[in-house]
Amino acid sequence: MSLHCENIIKTYSGKDVLQDVTLDLQPGKIYGLIGRNGAGKTTLLSILSAQNPASRGTVTLDGEPVWEHRKSLAKICFSRELNANAESGLASMKAKEYLRIASTYYEDWDKALEERLVKLFDLNVKKKFGKMNKGLLSMITIIVALCSKAPYTFLDEPVAGLDVVARERFYKLLLEEYTGSGRTFVVSTHIIEEAADVLEEVIILHEGRILIEADTQAFVDSAVHVSGKAEEVDAATAGLEAHHPETVGRSKGVTVFLKPGQSVDESYDVSVQPVSLQRAFVALCGEEEAK
Amino acid sequence: MNERLTEQKSIYLQISEMIETDILREILLEEEQVPSTNELAKLYTINPATAAKGVGLLVDEGILYKRRGIGMFVSRGAREKILAKRRAAFAENHVVPLLAEARSLGISKEELLTMIGERNI
Amino acid sequence: MKRNLRFWTRYTWESAGATLSCAAVLAVIALFGAEGLDFGTFATVMPYFLLVSAILMMLMINTGCQTLYVPLLLSMGETRRNVLLGFHYYRALIIAVTLAACALIWLLAPGEVSAIGLRSIPTLLCVLIIASAAGSVMGTLFVKWKWLGMVVIILLCGVAGGTVGFAGAAAGDGLSIAKTADIVAHLIKLPWWLLAAAPVSLGLDIGFQWLLLRRQEVKL
Repeated sequence: MSLHCENIIKTYSGKDVLQDVTLDLQPGKIYGLIGRNGAGKTTLLSILSAQNPASRGTVTLDGEPVWEHRKSLAKICFSRELNANAESGLASMKAKEYLRIASTYYEDWDKALEERLVKLFDLNVKKKFGKMNKGLLSMITIIVALCSKAPYTFLDEPVAGLDVVARERFYKLLLEEYTGSGRTFVVSTHIIEEAADVLEEVIILHEGRILIEADTQAFVDSAVHVSGKAEEVDAATAGLEAHHPETVGRSKGVTVFLKPGQSVDESYDVSVQPVSLQRAFVALCGEEEAK
Repeated sequence: MNERLTEQKSIYLQISEMIETDILREILLEEEQVPSTNELAKLYTINPATAAKGVGLLVDEGILYKRRGIGMFVSRGAREKILAKRRAAFAENHVVPLLAEARSLGISKEELLTMIGERNI
Repeated sequence: MKRNLRFWTRYTWESAGATLSCAAVLAVIALFGAEGLDFGTFATVMPYFLLVSAILMMLMINTGCQTLYVPLLLSMGETRRNVLLGFHYYRALIIAVTLAACALIWLLAPGEVSAIGLRSIPTLLCVLIIASAAGSVMGTLFVKWKWLGMVVIILLCGVAGGTVGFAGAAAGDGLSIAKTADIVAHLIKLPWWLLAAAPVSLGLDIGFQWLLLRRQEVKL
C-alpha cells in the first residue's frame, strides 16, 4: 500500500532532469521534498501524478499503474503552483471557475472546507487569476489541495507567496487536515526552517537525484557541526562523512553526517553542536560554492 | 506548555521536557489528562509523530500513562519521579559545565563557593 | 467519466450562450439595414447568423480548450483518453445543439429561406465539422509550436474579420429575402469534396491531437 516510483528518468532535450529516481511514499505521512531551484522537484511531482510522462521508469499506486489509470489518478491530487502571467490561459479565469472545476473532478471534494477556507483567507473568488498576486494564487493552490481529500496530495511551493503569518496558518491547517484524515502529503519547499518540524520524512533532491530519504528527526540528529582548531577538527572527524568545510585562519568548521554507530571523537578539543534541517541541507547541497 | 521550541535540541525531547516542567510546576496535576498529541502538534506546529515520540518517552518512564480510548494522564507519583531524575542529572548537567568554565577562567573553588553563598536559591 | 461528461456538458451550455450572444450582435447589425422586414421573415434568416457565429466561436473556443482546459483537466487527474473523449463529446454536442436550434427556428417560421435551410442541413453539418476541426487543430499547433499557432490565429482573425465585413456589406445593401434565398440556395447541394473533407479533417484533428495529448506535459 504505497505510491511507488521506480527508476524514473526524465530527459529534456538531451539533459537529464531526473536521474534514476526510486521512491516509496507510505500512506499517512507528511513528506517534505526539498531541493534547490531546478533540482527537479516539480518534474518529479508531475511524473508521480502522471501529469507529465517519464522518459523511463514506472509509477504505481498500491501495485496498479498510475498512468492513464483513472482509479489510481482519483487518489492523487497535485495542486500545481498557479502561474497566471499574460500568456497563460489561466489569466482570464476566475478563481470561482477553477474551484468549481476542481470540485467536479475530485470525487471527495469538501465543499464546507472550501467555503471555510475562502472565508478564512478572505478571498474574492470573483477575481480573475491575472489580477491576483502570488500570495492569493498560493491560497488557491492550498484550498484545492486540502479540499480535494485525495489520499495522496502534493503541494508545490505552497508557501512561496505567503507572508509569515499566512505561512504559519497554512502549516496549522495542514496539520489539522492531516491529523483528521491520515492523508499523505508531499510538500515541496525551499523555505525549510519553518517546515522542518511539520515534516515527518524528508526527501532531498539534488541535481535530479535523491540524496536523502529519511525520518526528518533522525536525519537532523545524524548531522552535527564540528569546529575548533583545524588539526583537531580533522582528527576528530577522521573517517566520517564531512561536508561543507569552512576555514577562518586556524579555525575550521565542518558539518558531519554520522552513520549509525559512528560518533565524533570528543577527546579532541572541538565543539560539537547540533544543526538544523536547513543547515544540514545547505551542507549537503551547497557544496559547489564552498569549493 | 507555552515555552517556545529551540533548535538546540530534538523537538521530541523538548516536548517531553516541557510536559515534565509543567508537572514540576504543578501546572499539570497528577491523575490529570495531558493535551493529546494532535493538540500538541497544532500548538507547536509540529508533526504529530514527533509529539507522540515525546509523549511516548514519558510513558516509557512511567510519568504518563494511557487510558484506553480517553487519552494520556499524569501518573500518581510522577512529580516525585521527575524530581528524582532531574536531581540525579543536576550535577552532570549543571555543576560539571560550571566547574569547567570556572577552571578555564581561573576561578578557584573557594571563590566559587563564596559566589554561591552570596546568593539565595 | 461521469464527472468528465458533467464538466463538458456544462461547458456546452456556456459555449452555446456565447454563440447566441454573438449571433444576436450580428443580427442587430444586420437589422439596421433591413427596414420594413417583418419579424417572421427575419426569423427565417436568423439561423444563418447563428451558424456564422457558431463557426467563429468554434474556431476560438476550440483553440482555447486545447491550450487551457485540456491541460487543466489533466492536472486534475483525468486520463488523457477521457479528456480526448470529453472534448469530442462537447464538440459533437455543440454542433448538434446549433443545428437543432436552426432547424427548430426554420420549422417554426416557414418561408422560402426556411425551406431551403432545412434542405441544406447536411451541408451545414459538414461545414460545422470542418470549422470545429480547424479550431482544434489550431489549438494543437498552438500547444506544440507557439509561434506557428500564432501565425495561424492571426491569419484566421483576418478571415473572420473579412466574413463579418462581408456580412455587414450584404446587410448594408438592405437585407433582401430574394437575394438571401439566392445565396443560401447554393448550400442545398452537398458537393462530394465537402462531404469528403469533413471526415478527413476530423480524422486528422483527432489523430494529431492524440499524438500530442498522449505525451503532453501539463503547463498552466
